Amino acid sequence: MIGNAPPAERPLVVEEVARRPGSGLLSVQDTTDGIPTIWVTRDAVHELLRFLRSDVPRPYRMLFDLSATDERMRRPSDGLPLGTFTVFYQLFSFERNEWLRVKVPLTGDAPSVPTVTDLWPNADWYERETWDMFGIRFDGRPSLRRLLMPPWWNGHPLRKDHPARATEMGRFQLPEERHDMTQDALQFRPEDWGMTRSHQEPDFDYMFINLGPAHTGTHGVLRLVAQLAGEEIIDIVPDIGFHHRAKEKMAERQTWHTFIPYTDRVDYLQGTLNELPYCLAVEKLAGIDVPPRAQVIRVMMCELYRLASHLVWYGTFAQDVGALSPVFYMFNDRERIHAITEAICGGRMHPNWFRIGGVAQDLPEGWDQLVRQFVEYFPARLDEYERLVMDNPIFKERTVGIGAFTLEDAIAWGATGPMLRACGLPWDLRKVQPYSGYEQFDFDVPSAGNGDCYDRAVVHVLEMRQSLRIIRQCLEGMPPGPYKSDHPRATPPLKEHTMHDIETLIHHFLGVSWGPVLPPGEAAVPTESSKGQTSYYLTSDGSQVSYRTRIRTPSFAHIQMVPFMARGELLPDLLAILGSVDFVLSDVDR
Amino acid sequence: MPWWRNGRMQGVKVRDGGDGSLADAVGRSVLLARLQDLLAWGRKHSLWPLNFGLSCCYVEMATSITSTYDIARFGAEVIRGSPRQADVLIVSGTVFVKVAPIVKQLYEQMLEPRWVISMGSCANSGGMFDVYSVVQGVDSFLPVDVYMPGCPPPPHAFMETLLLLQEKVGRERRPLSWIVGPQEVQKPIMPSMRDLKRPERTREREYPPMDRLPLTDGLWRRPGESRPGERTPNDWRTVDDWKRTAG
Repeated sequence: MIGNAPPAERPLVVEEVARRPGSGLLSVQDTTDGIPTIWVTRDAVHELLRFLRSDVPRPYRMLFDLSATDERMRRPSDGLPLGTFTVFYQLFSFERNEWLRVKVPLTGDAPSVPTVTDLWPNADWYERETWDMFGIRFDGRPSLRRLLMPPWWNGHPLRKDHPARATEMGRFQLPEERHDMTQDALQFRPEDWGMTRSHQEPDFDYMFINLGPAHTGTHGVLRLVAQLAGEEIIDIVPDIGFHHRAKEKMAERQTWHTFIPYTDRVDYLQGTLNELPYCLAVEKLAGIDVPPRAQVIRVMMCELYRLASHLVWYGTFAQDVGALSPVFYMFNDRERIHAITEAICGGRMHPNWFRIGGVAQDLPEGWDQLVRQFVEYFPARLDEYERLVMDNPIFKERTVGIGAFTLEDAIAWGATGPMLRACGLPWDLRKVQPYSGYEQFDFDVPSAGNGDCYDRAVVHVLEMRQSLRIIRQCLEGMPPGPYKSDHPRATPPLKEHTMHDIETLIHHFLGVSWGPVLPPGEAAVPTESSKGQTSYYLTSDGSQVSYRTRIRTPSFAHIQMVPFMARGELLPDLLAILGSVDFVLSDVDR
Repeated sequence: MPWWRNGRMQGVKVRDGGDGSLADAVGRSVLLARLQDLLAWGRKHSLWPLNFGLSCCYVEMATSITSTYDIARFGAEVIRGSPRQADVLIVSGTVFVKVAPIVKQLYEQMLEPRWVISMGSCANSGGMFDVYSVVQGVDSFLPVDVYMPGCPPPPHAFMETLLLLQEKVGRERRPLSWIVGPQEVQKPIMPSMRDLKRPERTREREYPPMDRLPLTDGLWRRPGESRPGERTPNDWRTVDDWKRTAG
């Protein structure tokens, strides 16, 4: 439905845009998730975004997401000004606590839009990714190179005419000359990045050091090239895409239901915390209300996984700055969490346990005993870890005042989660835009003031206690009732209805084999995951698969900040910064 | 009198059934083996993995190193950061088209003898990621010694695979020098574990109830149940307790 609704019913921001002369407003889209969505012309978008970022009262200061959609295969939707491609910007205003989507329809096979890197520094990687994935150019940038795919790749993978399956593309081979070619493509040439090798002083050259992709300090296949003057970091060029599993393409082929296991692997440390934003968005599209018991079960599992993820971060961060023993204690406690998740979900890291409309099964007998043992046991361990790590003078020496940035920087770079809260803003979507029943829980949002590595650690550590508080409330107040909605689109449908008449049996059969068909619409439910804000922006054109799934992950935004944080620090501080950022490479590259 | 005269060691306490004779002493302290077997035995118990991880599987690999599972029990805890010092390349995770040349580079930097474990469904076959950026199995460009199923394989599976690799390494025969014996590496043909385990697996018709599950951890206990001499999870001690008792 296109909102040519009377002006009084439009959101305030739409009025503000419409009142502006030359706003280029084409249309106002009525999305399922209720996020105001406006379509503007290509020529007016830069000026409009500048207005929204700076001039509008209570401005939209954060660029939350930027990507595109290939519209060429989309079933006709009534009244949308669709071209061949659409570029969309998702903005956020802290003062309004509101989201805004700005969409630009483009025409032709090689379209372009003006760059917004002059407005938001974090637009850089988003634009490179959009170029890489869709072949959409951004005008006015000094350079535009691929981000996720290697430079020798042919085509733009998220275009609908690019093959999806590896098995469609012939057998992978790595003969000598191809190996040499790919190794050569990895060669770093400072001139390509506008860097000079020689210092202003005579007889003094910068040193370029390559870290990764196989390096123990980068927590996975991340590559960083550091430009050094002595030990001081002048600049850093991150190279990502070594972990690109193409989940956005995968979503266009899996049904709404069978994509759930893929969400687990987006951030492989946080299990159900990935499934939650996806299921919430699908449920919004399908119009399903999740029963209270399912909501509380979801919250409990999410908080357990938040603890598991934070424990890995805690241990590896301490290890990164030289404390070798904490990680052993913390992995042991992670095992205790996984003993619970294994008893409840059957899986450890990838539980695949949420379903559209609820969860896969009811809680097993004795679950409360397992959880109670853990919540009684764990606070004393947290005390101990604080003495072991947070009070450790060497740890403080390595982290206090290192990699600091201000709240303005955090917002400009799209930092969320503990990264944002460490800058003094206690901003947690569980609190400010509650979802899945978080408003019923009593918990605090910890924050810290300095925005350095130590404060990021403080926020993580305090959050773990709040998660425990939430888990305890789930334990005490687990409501009775069904664990899955009886809505016809809940998948897989409840079995007990099937054996009564042929009609319900057919529905069950179709729901299980073909998958549910969702009505056309668009929805996203940004949630607070362990590392920041995660959002699955789903576009349905009325079939059993998603037309476009955009996965916005926090680690992508945070890794983009690393050069900004590390400039002027020493090389060993880079590893402290990386450790404090709490990222997972699969969350960066998806 | 020296012990080889009267067949008895002076002043040496005879232990657990031994008679202190020459044969006994030799049996206790001398190992007779062919040099080849001895080398294979040594290799088998000192596999040094390369510290290299690709994705989710690496977290489970790291979990196997920590104290709950502790692969030091199998002599494999010496994780090396440099491929030149490592024996085993554990391809733990998804092999991406962009990262495949790097994996190959690492393998080529490793010195012989070297072995490859393919950990998890992605490395085995691409797994659930039949998608443009993922190589459908690391064996398309590396020789794999043991495949480990699972997505990701739990630490138990990791340890079982390690033991299988040890078995294989222990039975491998390599030339001792460039003039002695056959010059090629003789690799054993290992049986398919799927076939070996099938009878046992098909016998299991039902998942055991909670109270029959193996007690792998203190958390697997039913309410109120405890075993004599075993500590309950609430008895886990902290450093403070330890200090108090150590006094």
